[in-house]
Amino acid sequence: MKYLPPMPNQTSPLRRLWNHGDRLWNGSLMFLAAAVLALMIAIGALLWVQSAGAREAFGWSFLQPTASPRWNPVADRYQAWPFIYGTLVTSLFAILIAVPVSLGIAVFLSELCPAWLRLPLSWMVELLAAIPSVIYGLWGIFAFLPAVVLPVGQFLGQTLGQIPGLRLLFSGAIPQSGASRLAAALILAIMIVPTITAVTRDVFLAIPSQQREASLALGATRWETIWKVLLPYGLSGILGAVILGLGRALGETMAVTMVIGNSAQGTLSLLLPGYTMSSIIANEFAEAVSALHQQSLVEIGLALFVLTLLLNMAARFLVWQVARKGPQQEARV
Amino acid sequence: MFKKSHAIALVVLAVSLLLGACAPAASTAPQAAAQPMEVTRIVEGTPQIMVVTATPAPMAAAGSVQINGAGATFPLPVYTEWTYAYQYVDPAVVINYQGTGSGGGKKGIVDRTIDFAGSDSLLKDEEYTQGGDLQMYPMLAGAVVPIFNLEGFDPAADRALVLDRETLAGIYLGTVKNWDDEAIVKLNPGLAAKLPAAPITAVHRSDGSGTTEIFTNALAAFSEEWKNGPGAGSAVEWPVDQAGNGIGGKGNQGVAGAVQNTPNSIGYVELSYAVANKMPFAQMVNKAGKTVVAGEESLAAAMEDFAGSFSDKLTTKIVDGEGEKSWPIAGYTYIILHTQTMEDCVKAEKLLGFLQWALTDEGAAKRAAALGYSVLPEAVRAQVLERLSQVTCNGQAVLK
Repeated sequence: MKYLPPMPNQTSPLRRLWNHGDRLWNGSLMFLAAAVLALMIAIGALLWVQSAGAREAFGWSFLQPTASPRWNPVADRYQAWPFIYGTLVTSLFAILIAVPVSLGIAVFLSELCPAWLRLPLSWMVELLAAIPSVIYGLWGIFAFLPAVVLPVGQFLGQTLGQIPGLRLLFSGAIPQSGASRLAAALILAIMIVPTITAVTRDVFLAIPSQQREASLALGATRWETIWKVLLPYGLSGILGAVILGLGRALGETMAVTMVIGNSAQGTLSLLLPGYTMSSIIANEFAEAVSALHQQSLVEIGLALFVLTLLLNMAARFLVWQVARKGPQQEARV
Repeated sequence: MFKKSHAIALVVLAVSLLLGACAPAASTAPQAAAQPMEVTRIVEGTPQIMVVTATPAPMAAAGSVQINGAGATFPLPVYTEWTYAYQYVDPAVVINYQGTGSGGGKKGIVDRTIDFAGSDSLLKDEEYTQGGDLQMYPMLAGAVVPIFNLEGFDPAADRALVLDRETLAGIYLGTVKNWDDEAIVKLNPGLAAKLPAAPITAVHRSDGSGTTEIFTNALAAFSEEWKNGPGAGSAVEWPVDQAGNGIGGKGNQGVAGAVQNTPNSIGYVELSYAVANKMPFAQMVNKAGKTVVAGEESLAAAMEDFAGSFSDKLTTKIVDGEGEKSWPIAGYTYIILHTQTMEDCVKAEKLLGFLQWALTDEGAAKRAAALGYSVLPEAVRAQVLERLSQVTCNGQAVLK
């Protein structure tokens, strides 16, 4: 109201009642916000209802970790563990690889890059984010898997695979085609790097330059400025970017299906073929004949939905903690 | 200052939550029919076969009848060709067939959202009860063939790879592990030097499909161990996966791609796919002990083996036939109709007219054969036409 030119009788109660634009505006905004919430609840409820049969038939054993999982549409016996494990391990491994890489690119783009290179490089990064996932999958099958994943997988098997603690994750021989959980994790990493980079770069660019100047004026080197001032300052934003990447990795279907080997078994090794939650749904839903098969697939959808929500909430909590504590601690130092 | 970083974090979070919510609803890419269409259409005109070489957009006549079908992707290339060609036979009809998968087709016909369904798998008892008056009609037979990737194999110089029934089942059971396994060497004496001492990677379909159903039906007929183990279905639990030597590929192209990229691997695809992509495929020793090549002739022989074994719903398996020429890994693809309760009698008449044409027209049969399928032999066709003539609408026979 205060931005409007003053009007006579503006403050009279009648006039205020007549001036209902604000209320309408606020109401419609609230409706839009509520629609998001309603949509979430509706999706969750639908998945819950549609999976009733599978939940009744299998109970918690459906979700429990097991070394010899069953996924047998002929005998109508289903367990979701290999898919849950596949989704978790590929997404987390992808994040593990993608975060340092994207952070490096973002720091370079915002702090170190010569001005003439900044724009084209930024464009390239954003262009990478726009490539459809099926293209990544095709490129993966024909170029990336044989040329990169296969030798890397063989190398990891010979090195990390020999270390007692890590043997579990790197045992076995990678298939000659390269199709494996490792392939899916690496493809996912490549797919989420542009997302994380773009957001992180924007976070860095939004940091006021006084922060840099103050740090440099105190005698800090460029490295110290980036590492001790800029990173802590933008940490909550960077974490947000990582969550964005994680969200994409968890839900990615097409590219993963094309490179992971689609083999439902209880192994843990990254070097062996696996399966993910979204892949099994995409693969089998169209031809799922028995009711229990369909319901089991819906229950996997429900599990993926809950998993995504939980991870997002945990990450949100983390961001909240950082945003609340971080700057104060910095101030004390 | 804190405000700003807060704001960034909040915006990022809002977006991430939204994306997270969207993630489970990941896209299932529609399976496209991979076969390129030829420009030449063969159409039945007057007594002789007429070839229409131009492809004018056929004008739907005024008051045209639109018939909707959906279901199996296995016969999709043929149905696409047939429905296209049929527009020249009866311009008043427009037939749409969508490859939604057999499951989707069966659901559609039970719920009456489509006029006919295509399906590779059989209806269950409860679906017959829900649907009321459903009947299945075999339309085509298709073969499934083993494809392979052997380093050093030269399709021009070498004789084709030969497998027998037990060996193929053994490979997918994980009991025949290496290419230099005695069983394989014995069947391929000429190739002995080229069969490596390397493990066989067995590629299978990752998506539920009629192709897998035909293949596993055959394996169950070949091997007791398979029958009592994984069994047969549009998706099964693969023993070779548990053994660590299995890979799943999405669709025919996924299996073919995995086989091409994996040295020393084997896989299975529809004959039509192998034909369209000019891939070498293995020959099989059938039940009669003869080595056969998949094709129109060996498919017809397989159908004739089982011409007398139809159930009252006109369904039968045609795997592992006794005949000397029979290709052992084959299956029917069916059309499903409501036999008494079709609501629109004009539509019913047009639909049955199309099916009759597809079953009897020479041009239609030629197109199917060129795509790697086979239409029904006379002994089977007579039974199907007989059943089609029993379809009624409002109590009146539809076909006069």
